Amino acid sequence: MLKPSESPGVTGSGEIRLTGVTKRFGETVAVRAIDLTIPHGSYCCLVGPSGCGKTTILRMIAGHEQPTEGDIRIGGDPVVGLPPVRRGTAMMFQNYALFPHLNVRDNVAFYLKMRGVAKAERRARADEMLARVQLDHLADRMPAQLSGGQQQRVALARALITNPRVLLLDEPLSALDEFLRLRMRGELKGLQNELGITFVHVTHTQPEAIALADMVVVMDHGRIEQAGPAEEIFARPRTPYVARFMGGQNVLAGIAAREGGGLSLTTPEGWVFHAPATHPEARDGQPWAMAIRRDRIALSRGAGEPGALGPNAVAGTVTATEYQGTFVKVSLEVPGLAGFVANIPDHAWFAERFRPGDAVTARWQGQDVHVLDRADSAGDADPYGGGEH
Amino acid sequence: MLTPAGRRPWTFYVLAGLFTLFVIFLYGPMISIFILSFQGPTGGLVFPLRDPGFTWFHALFGQARTGDVGGAFSRSLPLALVVMVLTVLISVSAGFAFRRRFRGASAIFFTAITSLIVPGLVLSIGILVTFREVFGLPVRWYSSGLAAHLTWTLPFGLLIMFAVLGRLNPSWEEAAHDLGASRWQTVSQVLVPIVFPGMIAVALFGFTLSYDEFPRSWLTVGSKNTLPIEIWTMTTNVTSPALYALGTVTTAVSFVVIAIALGSIWVIQRRRSRRG
Repeated sequence: MLKPSESPGVTGSGEIRLTGVTKRFGETVAVRAIDLTIPHGSYCCLVGPSGCGKTTILRMIAGHEQPTEGDIRIGGDPVVGLPPVRRGTAMMFQNYALFPHLNVRDNVAFYLKMRGVAKAERRARADEMLARVQLDHLADRMPAQLSGGQQQRVALARALITNPRVLLLDEPLSALDEFLRLRMRGELKGLQNELGITFVHVTHTQPEAIALADMVVVMDHGRIEQAGPAEEIFARPRTPYVARFMGGQNVLAGIAAREGGGLSLTTPEGWVFHAPATHPEARDGQPWAMAIRRDRIALSRGAGEPGALGPNAVAGTVTATEYQGTFVKVSLEVPGLAGFVANIPDHAWFAERFRPGDAVTARWQGQDVHVLDRADSAGDADPYGGGEH
Repeated sequence: MLTPAGRRPWTFYVLAGLFTLFVIFLYGPMISIFILSFQGPTGGLVFPLRDPGFTWFHALFGQARTGDVGGAFSRSLPLALVVMVLTVLISVSAGFAFRRRFRGASAIFFTAITSLIVPGLVLSIGILVTFREVFGLPVRWYSSGLAAHLTWTLPFGLLIMFAVLGRLNPSWEEAAHDLGASRWQTVSQVLVPIVFPGMIAVALFGFTLSYDEFPRSWLTVGSKNTLPIEIWTMTTNVTSPALYALGTVTTAVSFVVIAIALGSIWVIQRRRSRRG
């Protein structure tokens, strides 16, 4: 395990609490009045499209940006205005930012050198840390002589030698190829389990967030759209934006009508969607939105008129099919519904295949429909044009 | 690059010919002067070489009739070294200042660069007039001469620093800050070591541009000549191969300076990767 910290007053809880944090760059607002609590020892992923403010939040926690308004506490201590080392945070930069003029060992030992630790001791401790990331055999190499994955481990060792209570990772996997990305993803998660400190990881890749995080924070336009456990974000998105961004869902929009304890939506084309639950703010006659998971949809051959099909069914034309191994992604063109996708399990697909141009009917169970918390606004266009998930 | 038939295209021969001509024009004169500087006492300014030896090198430092070469060298060398040091200090500081956008940055940049465009001889006259007539200051190699040389070396130094610092990743500074380095430690432990090769380049430019400078020296160094002016004077009244010997000696000095600079970069990089 790591040696006890030498930094004054930075041991203890790695709980991060942001209260009313706003960051402006001139006229631009990067982060708007964010309230967020990341529990101690959790793996938190901030996910969202470029420019959504996720990196700015990370940099404010790290102390590389100061919030324009609001308060940031780590383990209960107010940290706004403190330099990074006094916060007990360490950051892993997007392109690792290894010092090109120092070899691997001296890169890792840099923090100890700044603290005036004697040469022999800091080298020994750097070697110990390098052994932890299985790079002790490369200690004498220069960063330019390392592969991307090796550079990443050096960056990790250099950050961990500060013995932080919070590790901040800025798109740590984006520079790696697919194979290495999956491997390093597993290693990061394992390391976080072992160390038990708080990891905050910024990414724009949804599967990365879902695979790693105890807590996923979905952001857009400087605001938190939804924060919660990965399965909640994926299966029960709150807003049309989150449903589309995380993938795996079709957003259904229409005019609301409450029926018993449930809610019905009717589109101008005449499709009717029904959910057994409702949302307290949904009003009769007003637009509202629901979501249905792509993998809960069944396809059958044949066209159908909106009036004749009944609720929770739409008819359309197959536009594309994509084999994904365990399932087949079938894209449909349905009047009034943009980007409708059904994920068909492979066994069902091999029993009955569809080709582009086939007329099909898609059906699903009302119990699988999930009511969102607002109407679908035009500005919520799918940021990834349908995605692949 | 080969054609499908395995032969080189005709453009290869044209470009290779052009490059050969370029090399001949670049090095031919230098090599001719180097060889002719070893001309014997009975030889003339042109080939053939008779009784090669060091006659004219002795003449260079021994006799008054070839002019004050030793004195000119004793002024040119310290001048070039002072110009070199000032160019590095000012260009590096200015380069770092320009990394942050500030009000009037472009105006200051273009003001500094303009002296590259102004003809050197005109600048020389202007500096002479300003120093002597406007401020009543003495016109010497170490006053007005130094100022004139800096107008030439600083824009080059600044442009080189821009290129060097343009590749300086801002996250290196943040990483240093993140790892507990103070502002000064960041400069001394991270920034300066990374831009050091660029600083050597600025130093080399500063030295050689000053050591070679004629137009800006012409009227600004006062009554005592620097080396390029001395050589120019000699071409008008010395008609012996001593001129070539002087050419060989000054070129050798330039090469030695460059060798020292490159050698020091090499040694530093070796020490760094060894330090381990």
